[in-house]
Amino acid sequence: MLVRIRLPLLATLLGVLSLAQVSSELITDEIRRVGARLACLCGSCKNSVGDCAMLACHYSKPAREKIRDMQARGMTDDAIVAEFVKTEGKRALVVPPGEGFSGLAWWMPPAVVGMGLAFIYWWIRRMRAPRPSPAPELDPAVLARYRDSIEKDLAKLE
Amino acid sequence: MENLGTLAVILAFALSVYSVLASLIGKWKNREFLVVSGERAVLAIWGLLTIASGYLVYALQTDDFRLAYVAGHSNRTMPALYKFTAWWGGQEGSLLLWSWILSSYAAIVVWQNRRKFRAMMPYVTATLMVVQAFFLLLISFPLSPFEVLAVGREVTSVADGRGLNPLLQYWTMAIHPPTLYLGYVGFVVPFAFAMGSLITRAPGDSWIHTTRRWTLVTWMFQSSGILLGAGWAYAVLGWGGYWGWDPVENASLLPWITATAFLHSVMMQEKKGMMKIWNIVLVSSTFFLCILGTALTRSGIVQSVHAFAQSPISRYFTTFLALGIALVVYLILDRLDYLKSESHLESVLSRESSFLFNNLILLASCFSILWGTLFPVISEAVTGEKISVDAPFFNRVNIPIGLFLLLLTGIGPLIAWRRSSLESLKKAFLWPSLGGLATVAVLIAFGVRHLYALMSFGLCAFVLWTIVIEFYKGATAIAAKTGQNLLAAMVELTHRNTRRYGGYLVHVGIVIMFIGFTGAAFNKDATREVAMNDTFEIGRYTLRVRDLQEGENDHYRWWHAPIEVLVGGAQIDTLQPEQRLYKGADRQASSVVSIRRRLHEDLYLNFAGMTNDGKRAVIQAYVFPLVSWIWVGFFVLLFGTLVCLVPSKIKYQFARTQIVGQVAAPARENAVGKNVG
Repeated sequence: MLVRIRLPLLATLLGVLSLAQVSSELITDEIRRVGARLACLCGSCKNSVGDCAMLACHYSKPAREKIRDMQARGMTDDAIVAEFVKTEGKRALVVPPGEGFSGLAWWMPPAVVGMGLAFIYWWIRRMRAPRPSPAPELDPAVLARYRDSIEKDLAKLE
Repeated sequence: MENLGTLAVILAFALSVYSVLASLIGKWKNREFLVVSGERAVLAIWGLLTIASGYLVYALQTDDFRLAYVAGHSNRTMPALYKFTAWWGGQEGSLLLWSWILSSYAAIVVWQNRRKFRAMMPYVTATLMVVQAFFLLLISFPLSPFEVLAVGREVTSVADGRGLNPLLQYWTMAIHPPTLYLGYVGFVVPFAFAMGSLITRAPGDSWIHTTRRWTLVTWMFQSSGILLGAGWAYAVLGWGGYWGWDPVENASLLPWITATAFLHSVMMQEKKGMMKIWNIVLVSSTFFLCILGTALTRSGIVQSVHAFAQSPISRYFTTFLALGIALVVYLILDRLDYLKSESHLESVLSRESSFLFNNLILLASCFSILWGTLFPVISEAVTGEKISVDAPFFNRVNIPIGLFLLLLTGIGPLIAWRRSSLESLKKAFLWPSLGGLATVAVLIAFGVRHLYALMSFGLCAFVLWTIVIEFYKGATAIAAKTGQNLLAAMVELTHRNTRRYGGYLVHVGIVIMFIGFTGAAFNKDATREVAMNDTFEIGRYTLRVRDLQEGENDHYRWWHAPIEVLVGGAQIDTLQPEQRLYKGADRQASSVVSIRRRLHEDLYLNFAGMTNDGKRAVIQAYVFPLVSWIWVGFFVLLFGTLVCLVPSKIKYQFARTQIVGQVAAPARENAVGKNVG
């Protein structure tokens, strides 16, 4: 069943059903720039406040409003981020800070690559084929015996 | 009737415990009848779990709301397909599916090997059944899917159920979980064989051939499951994200990565008898990561939008993982002599070395993803402070790793087994390197300045060149000998060594997917509030909201916002993003995006709703360049994997080289080799 309906009626209906409570004015480059440093803590996504796509997100939407207000008051990006950290703790940051225990989050992956390279170096050294030992000197008498034997065999063939 | 399901599950649990005991005691006491009895118990478990699953599906289809599971995950208005998929829509049902798939795999293993691997089969059966018993324990007691609603001691029911989350009512979501489970659960089989060989110190590598095929099949399912999930997220969630680095998504990727590493390093064991410990570690890690992934999805250890409701089962998983890992570590340490390498590495410039680096990079990627996923939990446990590790972290760490892996995908096939000379490498690398550099130069000339994108496209060109050269060289040789045309010669070439050339096709699939991933560097988006007949622009498109329509069916009400798509003033399409309101007890709302899919870019529209004043429609518009190549790449990957599974026309025997004597200096190139293949 498909019917064309008038806009006000549809708008009222959608409004009643709470299908959207949005504001696209909050998605400006300035707000995104700061928002990109802050985690969306809604629990439904792993995005930043800057790129959370849920327009009515219960965390990102008020966070963007807060950023807009702080920018209007002339606060710098760093000051805004610090304000969020003051309120929410370090979890407000989209990535762990590079110092203290959180720094481990960044250091461990390259450290593991380094350890892996060291292991490969050790393993290659261990697994490389041993160099051939120098040829032992053959006893001339034994050599002469084999030569004689070959000569005789060849003579028989002729 | 509801007792039938419970009874079947509990009986299956008892039989799985019996199967473990019968297999082990039969082996230790040399009582073949007990071993066979243990194997028949496996078949009986499959029958019982089929009955239990069948009953749950029947209850879902007939709206038996006396069952708490049916009331929680289905409702009267849901179409039959989604009532069926509600089987795995909730925690308890999905664990039943896990158990049923495992019982099916176990039955196949027992049947296929009824005359093979007789020495190790009791241990294979026992390992499979220990895992089976663990999952059946969960659904027998703490998480039964057959729990009935009751008031006091009287069974009751509700008038209608809550229904399945509307986001899950989508065709890829109907097949994504079972496909993923076919992968997850399938990795239990290689693990069981690895344990069997380790315990019995099985001579030879025949078990590894069986294991490799199983791994390849389950790897294919895991790849398909991951890509179906990505396809679902792209088409359903409303913002075009196909991968969000969510813990549950990561959990599915981790065993896929270790299995990929195994599929490469197993060649070292087959051809050279090397890296046996490493292969056991990889097979075991893959299995334990599957269990960890299952635990992450269900225990509430990490926060995820995909996770099932929290339940008190994390301690079960923790205990199982701890005991399992301890046992495997003990077995490996106890049998180091059995796992000794049979030959040496002849040169650092060899295919063997490239596999080492391939494994290192794959494992580094696996570690960084696992580390990032668990770091918030670790950090909170150590410092007491919560932190966030979100998508930007994973992107920053994994993009360089991914690019390096792409480079190795190109380098690997160019290096010969045993040893390569610098001269031959120079020759092999010349054209692919030039191809990669030329691609970068052309892109720069066209104004592309994104560093990672340039690197990625350049490496994609490099890898494609190497693969094309491999096919071309082989095919021209065959064509010269047989007189076939080049295409027929390529088919013949592939058929002669399906594993090698199928593998190259898989690499082509991966390269194509990388092209799709790289397109994300050029994504565009715009969110606009527009009145009827207003227009706005995104990229080269002009969009005009034509009108609004509404309708309903038995299942939901819908609202369409038909949007005309214009390029250069000419209308090229009309897209119809939609809002839905489902009629179930929860009256859940959902968006259905409309996508204009093209190979060069997708235009993606979401009707987010109306503004608060009710006068304008809120439209989210996105342009996603090259994203379709991800799905194209997946089909190529799937095709390549299927080719790998086709038996080769020619059976190759792998030469294992051993140093058996000295080599005089002038004749070093003619090293003595011994074929023990």
